Amino acid sequence: MLIKLAGATVYDPANNIDGEIRDIYIRDDKIVATPQTGETIHQTYALDGKIVMAGAIDLHTHIGGGKVNIARTMLPEDQRGSARARTELTRSGGGHAAPSTLSAGYRYAEMGYTSCFEPAILPVNARQAHMEMADTPMLDTGGYAMLGNDDLLLQLIAEGAEQQTINDYVGWILKATQCIGIKVVNPGGISAFKFNQRALDVDDLHSHYQISPRDIVRKLSRALNELSVPHPLHVHASNLGVPGNYRSTLATMDAAEGFPIHLTHIQFHSYGTEGDRHFSSAAADIAEAVNSRTNISIDVGQVMFGQTVTVSGDVMAQHANHRHAHPNKWTCMDIECDAGCGVVPFRYRDKNFVNALQWAIGLELFLMVDDPWRIFLTTDHPNGAPFTSYPHLIRLLMERSFRNDLLSQINPDAAAASHLQSLDREYSLYEIAIMTRAAPARILGMTDRGQLGPGAMADITVYHPGGDPEQMFERPMLVFKAGQPIVEEGRISQPVAGKTQVIRPEFDEDIEKRIKPWFDRYQTTAMENFIISDDEMAEGIGSPINIHPCRQSS
Amino acid sequence: MWNESIEQKINSVTCPGCGLSCDDLSITFAGEQLLSLENGCEKARSFYETALKSSDPTPIVDGSPASLDQALASCTTRLAQSNSPLFAGLATDVNGMRGILELGDLCGATLDHLNGDAMFRNLRVLQDNGWFTTTFSEVRNRADLVVLIGKQWFDGFPRLVERVLNPQDALFVEAGQRKIVLLGPWSPDSLPEDLASINPLLIPMENESIPDAIALLRSLIADKPVPPTRLGEQTGELLIGLASQLQQANYSVISWSAAEFDVPHAELSILGFVELAKTLNEKCRSAALPLAGTLADITSNQVTTWQLGYPLRTRLQRGYPEHDPILNRWQGLIARGESDLLLWTSSLSPLTPPPDSEIPTIVLGHPGMSFKTPPSVYIPVGIPGIDHHGHWYRSDAVCPLPLSKLRRSKLPSVADIANLLSRQLLTASGVSERGVRC
Repeated sequence: MLIKLAGATVYDPANNIDGEIRDIYIRDDKIVATPQTGETIHQTYALDGKIVMAGAIDLHTHIGGGKVNIARTMLPEDQRGSARARTELTRSGGGHAAPSTLSAGYRYAEMGYTSCFEPAILPVNARQAHMEMADTPMLDTGGYAMLGNDDLLLQLIAEGAEQQTINDYVGWILKATQCIGIKVVNPGGISAFKFNQRALDVDDLHSHYQISPRDIVRKLSRALNELSVPHPLHVHASNLGVPGNYRSTLATMDAAEGFPIHLTHIQFHSYGTEGDRHFSSAAADIAEAVNSRTNISIDVGQVMFGQTVTVSGDVMAQHANHRHAHPNKWTCMDIECDAGCGVVPFRYRDKNFVNALQWAIGLELFLMVDDPWRIFLTTDHPNGAPFTSYPHLIRLLMERSFRNDLLSQINPDAAAASHLQSLDREYSLYEIAIMTRAAPARILGMTDRGQLGPGAMADITVYHPGGDPEQMFERPMLVFKAGQPIVEEGRISQPVAGKTQVIRPEFDEDIEKRIKPWFDRYQTTAMENFIISDDEMAEGIGSPINIHPCRQSS
Repeated sequence: MWNESIEQKINSVTCPGCGLSCDDLSITFAGEQLLSLENGCEKARSFYETALKSSDPTPIVDGSPASLDQALASCTTRLAQSNSPLFAGLATDVNGMRGILELGDLCGATLDHLNGDAMFRNLRVLQDNGWFTTTFSEVRNRADLVVLIGKQWFDGFPRLVERVLNPQDALFVEAGQRKIVLLGPWSPDSLPEDLASINPLLIPMENESIPDAIALLRSLIADKPVPPTRLGEQTGELLIGLASQLQQANYSVISWSAAEFDVPHAELSILGFVELAKTLNEKCRSAALPLAGTLADITSNQVTTWQLGYPLRTRLQRGYPEHDPILNRWQGLIARGESDLLLWTSSLSPLTPPPDSEIPTIVLGHPGMSFKTPPSVYIPVGIPGIDHHGHWYRSDAVCPLPLSKLRRSKLPSVADIANLLSRQLLTASGVSERGVRC
């Protein structure tokens, strides 16, 4: 099957194509070079005037796993009013902030997304996360395994284990949990909270292990680098949401000692203590640090106004915030000497000083960080807002007048405390394509995604131009997944299932001699049942794996 | 391959006998007979012996033996004609539940688990209030004070003492340092041996007094002026002591099995247990440990929640999910005549047949199941963890564990049957393109 997408305006930053009129050819599931003259083209789409990008990639979205299911269970009201009826082609479901898996898959595809990554997979809960993502249709998925609060790693670090041992453990976890990256959430803090510590700054010591978050970040970022895993350590830094936490964020950047790290939902970590209310934007300090250190990448975790639910592995922070729950109910959980989770529903209000400033801080970060290859468009779905607000967010970035109109409507003290009014930058379509396609593919090491060159997977989104960017990104004209049209004019036209994207660094399998006795002595599950095999992924869980290559050693 | 090789001795087997889901069983076979079972409790032994005795009976349609194809055709007709099918029982594995939900979406079914009453005593607290919970390995390694409420947990979760309350090794609690408190209808004379061996503190009372006792504890911890002797002087003193211990513990745990509290508005009692743990966390550490999971209530509810966005007791009749934890109770739907077809799925135990009712009934049942009155259609299905691989949630809803295939079997799984029925219904309605899993 050979398909031609003819005459579209192409934005493909991975191949330095900025709005050029091109033809794209698809053979089966891949993009191919212009075929030889005379070859039969089975189908041609005349796309004159249309805009073409690779399928979008969300590198940080909570779409699967135990904490999301707790949110669904706790919030029947989130489902009411946003039901999605079954059609001849699609299943029923619904939900706004914590959608059902099926609805999440359909809605992402309808917005032109073709790959999504769950950023907080508890290793003991990995099977569930993959089962939920297997039931999230239309998308390729993947996840980052959470380490750095598991008692085994903390004990290894406390004992002064060799870096090689840490590396082997990290490699083993990636394989056993079928993940593509490693995340650390409030390094050591989730565990410290189990010992009744209520805060753990970067150089504070965990009361039992006598190690600091700095130690954990250093060990893990180095491990991923030495294992040649493309995605740097994905860090949810210490002191989430605490005024003055930008200092912890800068200290976390230092803790990596030059190894690559990715600081996630950095908006929640960019707060100062200035002003009468002792809450201020430190976006400028953070942006300056990101601009000057090339080992750092970030995603924003933009806040949007309205009802959502916050779901996080950071039990320490979530418990501290439970008084802000709206509606007034919340759940926390300590989990299996592995980590934990907290689920707190929340309503961001534009007339509230703190919420309005959070909104402005996120936008300041977007506009003050220079390199779109190192900043990613996220709302930390659903923590800052549901992913369905992405088209609105893109308009805020692309249209200064629209942004300033909204700025004039928020809490006036917050507007006055923000630099946003003075920031003239407007993102181009090329930069949006970098942030939502080319850069996430590159930072995850997926050389065959996020681009439209020959050999790439034919994950492609076609947009109608005209109107404002929100309208354009809300409802693509066409979406192709692996060469197949799956969305036409914003509606699902062909349901498909995706695969799980994983990475497999080399490590010494003898590490199991350390891990198995740990399971036998302390855990209530067997190591053999913790490990998820490739066959189990394909036949039992229902999402076959696709292994991406590690970085070439430099 | 995941679905093929079968050894004579299988280690690290997950037992779906109760919500503890111990996965340290070793099973040895001679042919297909169980030769030995290491690490299992009596419940496990009974589960495996019953399962392995059951062979592969033929399906039954309208009281007569039938082929599988005939049975499926009969089911398809009945499902296509039903205006308000009820899918209940739901004792199956993850893939069984995935199949049931796909079929339920096509048919507009209402869904509830056979033990939905017990499960919703907990879930309604989670829906209205949230909670602070913990898991087995945390309790095993960390808890220095465990308060077990009621009594039935002891028979319901036979290895809880060995695996969680009194393990050989623990990371943060010294042997002998852990205090166990039994609050419920216990007496010192009737304490089972392995429970007596961990030297628990008894606070004896009937289950009816438990909500009062918990309220008293919460009041004491909150420094409210309450008469502690309201439940008797001796009990009052014990509760004062417990309130103090809870505030001094490094990590206390409040545990119960909701199945035991079969009284109206038991969710209000459970709210008290949950609030006790939540309040303690303002200053010290504590967590709740609800015990559940038996007959796959947690399993079927987890899959339903992620696929529909709502937990069980959800109906799909109007083409989209609508949840009501009271109106969609299966017993009520049958009693009120609001369903015209019952699909009863019960693959784990022969002892949970469908209820006697006037409604035409399809049973996807354990191969050892027998009936006083034969249902309209009976399709014997494979037992998860015996006849086919699968996934199964234990009590704490965090660890889905793999179930092994222990024998070569001709029995189709619940997933197989549900998927075949979905395809037949789609074909009958002229839709062939729909992805069954997506």
